Amino acid sequence: MRRFWILLSTELKAWRHDPITALGGFIAPAVMLVAFGLLFGGRLTFKIALVNQDAGPYGALLRQTFDEVLSPFGTSYYDVADLPEDAAWRAYQTFRIDGVWVIPADFSARLAAGEGPTVAMHFMNYNDDRAKNHRIYAAEILWRFYEKARTELRPPAELPEPPLALAEVYPLPVMIDWFPIIAVGIVLLSITLGGMMNIFMLTYKEQVARITLEFGLAPRLLAWALAPKALLALIMGWLTGIVVMGLVYLWIGIWPGRYLWAAWLLAGLVALFWIALALLLGLRTRNYMPGAIATILTGVLVFFISGGLSLVRANVDRVIWLAWLFPNTYAVDPIRDLVLFHAWPADWTITLLRLIAFAGLSLAVGMGLAARGLRRCG
Amino acid sequence: MARFRLLLLTEFKLFRATVPVHLIAILQPTLLFLLMGLVLVYPTFDMAVARPTTPEAAAHVEALVSAMRQVGSPIGLPYINPILVEAPVQGATRQIITVEDRDGAPTAVQRYGLIDSNLVKNFRNRLTAAGLRLWNGSLGRRGVLVEEHPWLPRDLPYTLYFGVALLPMTVCLAASLLGGVGTAMDFEFGAITEYRLAPLSPALILAARLVRLVLTALVSAGILLAAIGLSTGAWPQASPQLAALPLVAAILLPVAVTAGCLGIIAGLILRRTIPTFVVGLTASLGGWLLGDAFGLAAGFGGGYQAVSRLTPNAHAVELLFRPYYGVTVAAPASSALALTLFSGGMVLLTALAYRRAVIRPMGDHPRQRRSRR
Repeated sequence: MRRFWILLSTELKAWRHDPITALGGFIAPAVMLVAFGLLFGGRLTFKIALVNQDAGPYGALLRQTFDEVLSPFGTSYYDVADLPEDAAWRAYQTFRIDGVWVIPADFSARLAAGEGPTVAMHFMNYNDDRAKNHRIYAAEILWRFYEKARTELRPPAELPEPPLALAEVYPLPVMIDWFPIIAVGIVLLSITLGGMMNIFMLTYKEQVARITLEFGLAPRLLAWALAPKALLALIMGWLTGIVVMGLVYLWIGIWPGRYLWAAWLLAGLVALFWIALALLLGLRTRNYMPGAIATILTGVLVFFISGGLSLVRANVDRVIWLAWLFPNTYAVDPIRDLVLFHAWPADWTITLLRLIAFAGLSLAVGMGLAARGLRRCG
Repeated sequence: MARFRLLLLTEFKLFRATVPVHLIAILQPTLLFLLMGLVLVYPTFDMAVARPTTPEAAAHVEALVSAMRQVGSPIGLPYINPILVEAPVQGATRQIITVEDRDGAPTAVQRYGLIDSNLVKNFRNRLTAAGLRLWNGSLGRRGVLVEEHPWLPRDLPYTLYFGVALLPMTVCLAASLLGGVGTAMDFEFGAITEYRLAPLSPALILAARLVRLVLTALVSAGILLAAIGLSTGAWPQASPQLAALPLVAAILLPVAVTAGCLGIIAGLILRRTIPTFVVGLTASLGGWLLGDAFGLAAGFGGGYQAVSRLTPNAHAVELLFRPYYGVTVAAPASSALALTLFSGGMVLLTALAYRRAVIRPMGDHPRQRRSRR
């Protein structure tokens, strides 16, 4: 055991010579966190201007409706700017707002008389996803407008009930947001990448410095020499994850709390699977840069296909077959249960056993091949 | 000229020493684009509708499914692909709609699985759009008609914008990474001594390096441009003054020069490969994120817009709107001027940094001259 601690402290000293390379496991997840946070984490409303030329009650009612209809994000679908007409068009043409609604002067009159009232919706469609949102958000506004016209206006509009009412049922009292789901996926990525980059860096340096020859001549099992590396890489992976989790906490206030140990246990087992593979890469590659980039790209690719962006359980039929070969796919949703919901995963035992199997098999194969290669060099 | 050609040839031969780095710097943005193409949302959603179990429900389900099929863009894709399924015994995986009787009123009840709020929003909005079609049908001439006035004659896929915004990032990444790593390796392997002793003008050496970086960066952009065209069907259109590809190259050229200079400066200052690589990567990704990466900056608020003006990426994306979308955004003349100033200023800084890092350590320092007297 004493030898183990000596080797571990030696590895730590080697790591301290080039700590900046440990950033390799942090930069990619941090950039992705910022990118997805900007995309999906902010106030996801459309900025529009409303030009209300109508003098009657229906124009004002329609204007009111915009503020009342809330999306599942808890905000209104639109942030409406009540600008004069010239200013509205200027803002639209300089892309400061996404659209302009124009309620014509005869809107109320035509609605009351049943003469086909219209509203003009001007919007940007250089992005078809936002164009789609403009169209389907308009449906939410109009649905609520009809309901208000029937029930709140005095006198109420003589409009029939909808032929089909709408209702919905969600399985939890509070809805899950998308960005936190992605953020937890990124935390798992950071722990994995942190471990991979550190072990890659440690073994590459020894390979280049030919210290591997000494390993090859070691009288004892080489697992004693490789295990401290794997442990240090795992610790660095966990620390990278703590830093990224800290960023997530500062941004959206999510922290695992007393479930941190369980989440980090699962993530650590996933990291060990990849650490074993990165160990082999570090011992074989001749050039640091391509090896490092290949490591990062592998981690990022696995993130995308293994449930990094959405719940695996809710999209089982959309997960490609390749993803089921990686432990990330099995671990990410239980980690989300622990971090986001502070709830014990229903499939905790089976997940733990699976991840132990993945990690054990990978470490056995990885360290076995590494030891064989080192002995051959010796 | 012969010396310059020789220098340029030598620069290109450096490719053989760093093949993996070159491949990654050149191909990685295209890989990112293709990956994100898998992830970015497409407008058409599959929506499960439970088969009716009573004759009363059958008419409503049929009407609802018919309305769902009509929900979509008049100039683009449909938004719903309704799928009739048997009602599940347990909870839905994503969602399922059943038509039920609630308090005497036929109601389309959408039950969700454990999905996130963004998916709920998309499913909810689509069902509302279908329901509104039915309601407007019963309202007749009292129903409100929304007249659509989209900016462009047809809806263009988001992957196109994403790819166009990646083009400046592609040239930045290739030029800054290769420039930085190449310069750092000159120090690490001692080649810098040969540059110091060479009887050549430093301007010639730097020019050869920059030309190589710019050409490599433009090749990288060309690969991404082809990927964008093949996946979206959108190819750049020519302007009255320039053909399509030269136009795109002319827009990206100052971005490549700026990024190449940044990489060379990082290499001259840091003199080590790995930190230089980190600087190049961070600068490229940062410029991309702050430079209209996900939408035109004006739509993200005054602060973001102000910061984006400081990146060459934002100006390049706005200039690329004309060849790709056929419309002009912002002020092309001021964007072109900004790019020219960025690249000119960076070339000047690079020359100063080169002088300080390479030429001055050779001696001829004023103090040394005084001591020799």
